Amino acid sequence: MIITFLQRLLWMVALVAAQVMVFNYIHLFGYATPLPYVYLLMLFPLNTDRWSILLWGFVCGLLCDIASLTLGVGMAAMTFVAFIQPPLLQLMVPKDAVEDLQPGIATMGFWPYVRYTLIMTSIFVIAYFIIQTFNFFHPLDFLIAMTSSWGLTFLMCLILEGLRYKSEK
Amino acid sequence: MKTLLDFLAKYYHWLIFFILEVVSFVLLFQFNHYQNSVWLTTANAVVGRIDLWERSVLNYLTLGQVNEQLMRRNLLLQQNNDELQRRLAELTHDSTQTERLLAERLQGVRLLPAKVVTNSVMRRDNYITISAGEADGVEPEMGVVSGTGIVGIVYMTSRHYSIVMPLLNQHSRISCRLRDSQYFGYLRWEGDNPLHAVLDDIPRHARFKVGDIVETSGFSSIFPPGIFVGRVRAISNSDDGLSYKLKVLLGTDFSRLQDVCVVAQEFQTEVSELEQRADSLNSEVQ
Repeated sequence: MIITFLQRLLWMVALVAAQVMVFNYIHLFGYATPLPYVYLLMLFPLNTDRWSILLWGFVCGLLCDIASLTLGVGMAAMTFVAFIQPPLLQLMVPKDAVEDLQPGIATMGFWPYVRYTLIMTSIFVIAYFIIQTFNFFHPLDFLIAMTSSWGLTFLMCLILEGLRYKSEK
Repeated sequence: MKTLLDFLAKYYHWLIFFILEVVSFVLLFQFNHYQNSVWLTTANAVVGRIDLWERSVLNYLTLGQVNEQLMRRNLLLQQNNDELQRRLAELTHDSTQTERLLAERLQGVRLLPAKVVTNSVMRRDNYITISAGEADGVEPEMGVVSGTGIVGIVYMTSRHYSIVMPLLNQHSRISCRLRDSQYFGYLRWEGDNPLHAVLDDIPRHARFKVGDIVETSGFSSIFPPGIFVGRVRAISNSDDGLSYKLKVLLGTDFSRLQDVCVVAQEFQTEVSELEQRADSLNSEVQ
């Protein structure tokens, strides 16, 4: 229990640090900024207490926002994804899956996990950009920034999962 | 209570989610000027729209009151309009030939305008009260005329009102003449039709016809000569057969009388005094 908690804490600190120190400075083509800290929420196994996921998401978003001076944006988006994650995961895994299934390439298979990542990162990036931009006066810019950021986030999450998969192996 | 607790236990994550989102958005609007301004602008627009709806509904609910106020206002304006229409009609009224002649005859005579306050035509001895009295220069024995002919003679006066003995009074006697032939007689009312009076004492040798104009003779100091009274309607013999009795259609319609003028002649008092002195001398001689 404590080990799980510490593991998650470690993941959170690492992801926030990476976001604040590295990813926030990436503006590929002037638009694309990866936001891979949503990966933290993708680690939570099936049937985790929902309040727990919500709080982790909220705190992770809060830390990121404080460090990035965007208070509220990441928090709201992460809390929303944390609220969506349990039912979404339930839909993505087979009905006969183990009760505390840890989502990953190893447990779900490559393509199902890609699909899971795709949906999770999409929801997060869309929520994040809507809250951050808060208007649709320049829909083209908005779409380009959102899509490119989503692409990078998706990629980074897959890479992180790949690294984790390899290390577990 | 148990149901509520069960409900909360089952859907507690909704509550947590809601609280955390609220906290997030409060912080978002608190610390980010851009989002704050967008939020305020949008919120203002939404609140403005809601206010507008609310006001529309309230306005609709108070329509009854507004309606009543409008009705009162309408009545007031209607009254004002009637009054103005009446005054306009007075000012732009195209005077008839009788009125023009009357005005000509009364040139040089002081006219004191007055309104009819009370009036009657149904009794045998009718009286009219007018809104001019001693304060306005009205004295007993002054003549009273309207735009269409003579009305009567001032009988009594108070400070601001006077009582007029009109033609439609059995005691009224006014000296009149036929305009064309200048024969004169006394006009009196027989107490029946308020549009007709009788001119007595026209001599048998006088020549005249139905339709001839009857006017004041000017023999008394009450009316100046030549004021229109009416037209001869029918001719008959007097009761004693020594003179004619003419039925006269009066120019003045007493049942519609509203505005009159009191005729104040310059030497009326002097003439009256002279007549009184002559009367008294007569009585002394006799």
